[in-house]
Amino acid sequence: MSTSAIRPLYWPIQWRRNEGLGALYIVLGAFVVLYVALFPGILAPGAVNKFVQGWFPTAMVAVAETIVMLTGGIDLAVGPMVSLGSVVAASTMQTPLGVFGAVLAVMALGAGTGTIVGAFVAIARYPAIIVTLAMSFIIRGTALLILPRPGGFVAPAFSDFLAGNHPTTIVLVLVLVMLWKLYQATPLGVGLIAVGDNAEGAYRSGVGVVSARMFAYAVSGVLQAMTGLYVAAQTGSGDPLIGEPLTLSAIAAAVLGGVSFLGGQGTLRGALAGSLLMSILINVMFFMDLPLVAQYVVQGLIIVITVALPRLRGARSHTA
Amino acid sequence: MILGARAVSKAFFGNPVLRDVSIELLPGRIHALLGENGAGKSTLINLLSGTLAPDRGALVTDGRSVPALSPRDARRLGIAVVQQELSLAPHLSIAENIGLGVAPRRFGLVDYRRLATLVAEVSAQVGLTEPPHTPVGKLPLGRRQVVEIAKALARRPRVLILDEPTSSLAAPDVSMLLALVQRLRAQGVAILYISHRLNEIFGFCEHVTVLKDGTVTADRPLAGLDPLGLVRLMVGRDPQDLFPAYRSTASEEVVLQADEFRTVGAAGVDVTLRRGEILGIGGLVGHGQEAFLLGLGGAVPARAARFQIRTAEHVRTAPFASVAQANAAGIAYIPADRKKEGLLLPHPIAFNLLLPSFAHDRMRRRRRAQERTITQALAQRFGIRGDLLRPVQALSGGNQQKVALAKWMPLAPAILLLNDPTRGVDVDTKREIYLALRAMAAEGKAVVLLSTDTPELVHLCDRVMVFHNGRVATTLAHSDATEEAIVAAALGLPEHASMTEAAA
Repeated sequence: MSTSAIRPLYWPIQWRRNEGLGALYIVLGAFVVLYVALFPGILAPGAVNKFVQGWFPTAMVAVAETIVMLTGGIDLAVGPMVSLGSVVAASTMQTPLGVFGAVLAVMALGAGTGTIVGAFVAIARYPAIIVTLAMSFIIRGTALLILPRPGGFVAPAFSDFLAGNHPTTIVLVLVLVMLWKLYQATPLGVGLIAVGDNAEGAYRSGVGVVSARMFAYAVSGVLQAMTGLYVAAQTGSGDPLIGEPLTLSAIAAAVLGGVSFLGGQGTLRGALAGSLLMSILINVMFFMDLPLVAQYVVQGLIIVITVALPRLRGARSHTA
Repeated sequence: MILGARAVSKAFFGNPVLRDVSIELLPGRIHALLGENGAGKSTLINLLSGTLAPDRGALVTDGRSVPALSPRDARRLGIAVVQQELSLAPHLSIAENIGLGVAPRRFGLVDYRRLATLVAEVSAQVGLTEPPHTPVGKLPLGRRQVVEIAKALARRPRVLILDEPTSSLAAPDVSMLLALVQRLRAQGVAILYISHRLNEIFGFCEHVTVLKDGTVTADRPLAGLDPLGLVRLMVGRDPQDLFPAYRSTASEEVVLQADEFRTVGAAGVDVTLRRGEILGIGGLVGHGQEAFLLGLGGAVPARAARFQIRTAEHVRTAPFASVAQANAAGIAYIPADRKKEGLLLPHPIAFNLLLPSFAHDRMRRRRRAQERTITQALAQRFGIRGDLLRPVQALSGGNQQKVALAKWMPLAPAILLLNDPTRGVDVDTKREIYLALRAMAAEGKAVVLLSTDTPELVHLCDRVMVFHNGRVATTLAHSDATEEAIVAAALGLPEHASMTEAAA
């Protein structure tokens, strides 16, 4: 067979993996239209930037959760990890380490914690749900020990750079997408899906099952800790409890985005769309002056409906 | 010799699966591996391909002797396996699956350009025409098997092990595979071919190793053997006095009759079951026997042109819609996987024994004294010794099986459906179970015994239904039910009558 007949392979593969997100895109599109109709002001350039800044932490943790869920695991320590990230950032930035040192410290924190969790799950084979539940207590406690109440120092220039009136966050989203595509093009990225899909088969095929899992937890940890750094820049301080709601948001966004609890199935595009839907939903309900309690109920209903839609359609096509 | 095993033994949880097995694979030779269900074929493949390590003995690669292989060693040595249980990741594309673990790399990334070339090359060899970016999960089962073959080829094998590769293939793909295997032989690849299809074995294999109960009964050229001779090597056990003397207790009274019974995996089954009878169900694993049993027990949806159950207390004319319905009508199903489906392992023996009885009206409220009476009577009758408050997982496999069987007795079922009750059970307990089954039949229960252990069908059963491809290939009376006849029918050999004559 001549080489001219060989078609490019990577992008068609990535594209086919996102099949089945149609229902999510429809719901998301409907909410975007609703949002714009209710608040046309969102289309102003500055407003888009602000919206992206509000959405970015949810997007980051959704991606972090997706990576772990792809291996067939789950991470219940996402929120505390974000908090600890913000606390470490706010307490290192005023030391001689400076901004650069703080960024490095936060990354090392994320990678180190993720590797420890990964070792427990991949080598010692404890269930991820138990390991990360335990970790969530340890991390929360550590954050409270370092900084019992919100405070610390974040360099104003750093805050302005990340969360000011520059489109830095939009660039960061693009960087995130590109890094993901790079990850997916490595043997570890292919292994990530293979391990969640069919761990036994992957092992027999010579995939490094342990390294694929551990790397996934480490990457996820870095993303979570970096989210903490971003949140610290946004608020101008470290807060040992600020990440708490993000654990469930991350899982909800991933599930909305078609990421399977069983592993092997899920995409970045889905996680981003899922987290975007959650952010828009919260904004719309906030602007509509719905009471907080009603917001929770509506969020839950949207999750159930979006997850159930493709299944209902699938069930009908099976019986037909 | 390119790959071989020298006197390897392997046991799982004290049950020996392979005993002193030796095998030699030579370049350019197609070597057939034959044996009944549970003879040890899969274990031997796993040893040769590095997924398991032998307890004793050695593996030989290129003349060098090693205690065990790892999957990495196997890959380095060019040993590739076409798995029967697919090793594919359904959410990855065809191309990534083919390249899984061996994909070409460039700067630490998967080199998708070279992967595409590799995939195109092996796809052409196996007739894989689907676009390489298709997720494997979107393919039908038969096509996935073709991907599995392509995946093995991408490893540039010097040794290719094919584990029942044709069982899920469509006819054109079967001829593709056969041509491919011949081509690889010509290129000097050593091939180990496992199949239950004797026409394939005789079509192109040169050498055969036959396993029986974990030992080698033949290691010889295929020339000079006929299908009947092979079947005899697979089954011919020494006569054992494991089984109670056969004495039929079947009456004329029909308790269950179904015509054209069908369920997912089995169709067109006509069955009649009489009081006091043990009806055996035989066949190779996955040919519809289990589906039939589950359908009768209400665990999977089933239909029948005519269906009638007539026991002392119940009359019914349609298959059961649920297990609870079947239980209420006096049918009990004892599953093969007792650890998952038959027992609550961490709970006490007594609690497990009582579980089905809790559905009974008179047991709606717990009455300790009554419970103790029931559990003690059951323990005594089935020889379950020791404290009944221990968790059931503290018992040996055989005693667990007794609990899984005994727990149904308080419901006084008229029909018992047993799925391979002696799998992984030691010899003494086997005999106890055989005696218990015979005693139940003598009480007037009807017993349906699905077994992968052919001698059980021969020595215990009044009649044996043998399944092949989801249908009943033949029903043998006790006098005709020899091991040869059952295995021949299970393999789909057409004329079992002449075979039994020839074997006699």
